[in-house]
Amino acid sequence: MKLVGIAGSVADKSYNRLLLKFIANHFSDTVDVEILDIQDVPMFNQSDDQTDSESVQYLSNKIKQADGVIIATPEHNHTITASLKSVIEWLSYKIHPLSGKPVMIVGASYYDQGSSRAQLNLRQILESPGVDAIVMPGNEFLLGEVKDAFDDQHNLKDARTVGFLKETLDKFVKFVKVINTMNGPAADDGWKSEDLESHGKVETTIEGVDMHAADWVEKASAKTHAASGDDYVELDRGVLTVNQLNYFLNSMPMELTYADANNQFIYYNHNADAKDMLASRTPAQAGNPMADCHPKRAIPHVQQVIHMLRTGKTDLFKLPVPGNGPDKYVMHYYQAMHDAKGEYKGINELVLDIMPIVKYYLSHTGQVLAKNPNAKTDAVSGASAKAATPKPDSVSGASADVAPEAPDEVSGASADPEPVTPAQPEVDSVSGASGNDN
Amino acid sequence: MHKFVAIVGSNSDDSTNRKLLQFMKRHFAAQAEIDLVEIKDLPMFNKPENRQVPAAATAIAEKIDQADGVIISTPEYDHSAPAVLMNALEWLSFHIHPFVDKPVMIIGASYGSLGTSRAQAHLRQILDSPELRARIMPSSEFLLGHSLQAFDDEGNLVDQQKLAKLTGLFTDFQTFVDITKELNHANEVNRKEVQNVNWDKL
Repeated sequence: MKLVGIAGSVADKSYNRLLLKFIANHFSDTVDVEILDIQDVPMFNQSDDQTDSESVQYLSNKIKQADGVIIATPEHNHTITASLKSVIEWLSYKIHPLSGKPVMIVGASYYDQGSSRAQLNLRQILESPGVDAIVMPGNEFLLGEVKDAFDDQHNLKDARTVGFLKETLDKFVKFVKVINTMNGPAADDGWKSEDLESHGKVETTIEGVDMHAADWVEKASAKTHAASGDDYVELDRGVLTVNQLNYFLNSMPMELTYADANNQFIYYNHNADAKDMLASRTPAQAGNPMADCHPKRAIPHVQQVIHMLRTGKTDLFKLPVPGNGPDKYVMHYYQAMHDAKGEYKGINELVLDIMPIVKYYLSHTGQVLAKNPNAKTDAVSGASAKAATPKPDSVSGASADVAPEAPDEVSGASADPEPVTPAQPEVDSVSGASGNDN
Repeated sequence: MHKFVAIVGSNSDDSTNRKLLQFMKRHFAAQAEIDLVEIKDLPMFNKPENRQVPAAATAIAEKIDQADGVIISTPEYDHSAPAVLMNALEWLSFHIHPFVDKPVMIIGASYGSLGTSRAQAHLRQILDSPELRARIMPSSEFLLGHSLQAFDDEGNLVDQQKLAKLTGLFTDFQTFVDITKELNHANEVNRKEVQNVNWDKL
């Protein structure tokens, strides 16, 4: 379950932020909590509408994509802080991301009251029309005398408090499910709206150039007077020439593909011929709508994956692609990309063979792969157990005939259609290593 | 003649709460001197560890210190006082305590029909907190609903019944200010206690 946490304070030091961090870390096996910063949100002013600012849009997008919200509020002057109130005012003026959203309130304070009045007040504010959040009734979590509540490692000291917090959080998880059921399923067939023919456009779409053309890159480049060769490009964080950028991307030990928010395939790091690639691409394909790069039968699966990434159901979709023999374990990672406002900007698809990394790790740590007797799939060959599945088509492995399932209830971030093999967590921990097979 | 500080509880350019206070300043000019104070330029309260209170806040605090009482006109956003007003009250209780035992009259104007009933209740609760300890005039509520239609072109209140109510309450507030001067037996304790809830010691 994907939750976002908002600490209602912009103070230099906030125990409420600490409390949220504790919840995020300590209960990570129950919920996936992302803590959102409200530091940069300006004071609400209806004469100076900042609804479209990065900080407000970022919060709004993150809240919309989350299953529920946890707000940790301090108490100032018997009420919530102005900074938190200002955020809620922005989120109830022109946009209403909290509408129908399950919310859990917690709070920490220096005195023994533990933000009791602020919590009541916050409840009333969240339930007002325009905000329309659905606050979990009862289950108040008040953390008083907070200065003594945490140890040096920022963990709550009192086991009973942790127990109660767990109980409250478990109830909230159920509450979120009930409320989101009541709100009705998020249109199960929303994925059908994904247009792989790229008929729409996004602000970066290069118009007037045939997407299907083999020389789309050259034409689009001419049309936009694109930087090239020794032109400098300012990046986050550095400055490179286009040549340097190409050296850099083409030397990545993996295949990289950029599909934009309009489902147009606009880039891959061209460092090998199609026949030598794990997921083959040809220079003529760049610019194609994604529909061009997949067989018809695969389209619904691709649409479902893209839709999960676009709507934030998951931010990373992993897919082991079978059919490469026992010496390869090819992974396709589909990573959603976002701008500073949290708006979806497309997919970064990474394709790589992780076997060299696994072998490197094993040889350097003196270990061997062993079969897990409890595993549902063969630990070593994993996905290849389904070798009968047709080899994935040219551009995207997402079209492998493995129907994507709803993202995993617990983490939301991993949505493997196959059970994770036991070897994988270890592999992840050394993923920075080179693919040197020694 | 009483001197009052009137806090415009909104940062909107065309606030009807500002209009209401401007009207009172003119209409009651013979009875009292009313000084309108804006809070829109105060920075967001962030409980700075260096205890630095912005100059804009200390300037307001000084005005309140010198006034016989404070009138606050509040809008209502999301069933409560707006963030910008809450923000001002946070600064005005952070190492400075201009509101302790200060007579306060709460009024409010809203576009809708309820006229800020819930924001006023919220504001009362805030002003009653140990960090602020204001002396809020009890059992008095001036709710101006449909505030966009409430004033004529000269900025005068159109509804005579509303005007009569406002005049009555304002006159009562002047009496309340005088009575509050008699309610002085806890002043010293209050002042001492407010130092003890000093945020710095938190």
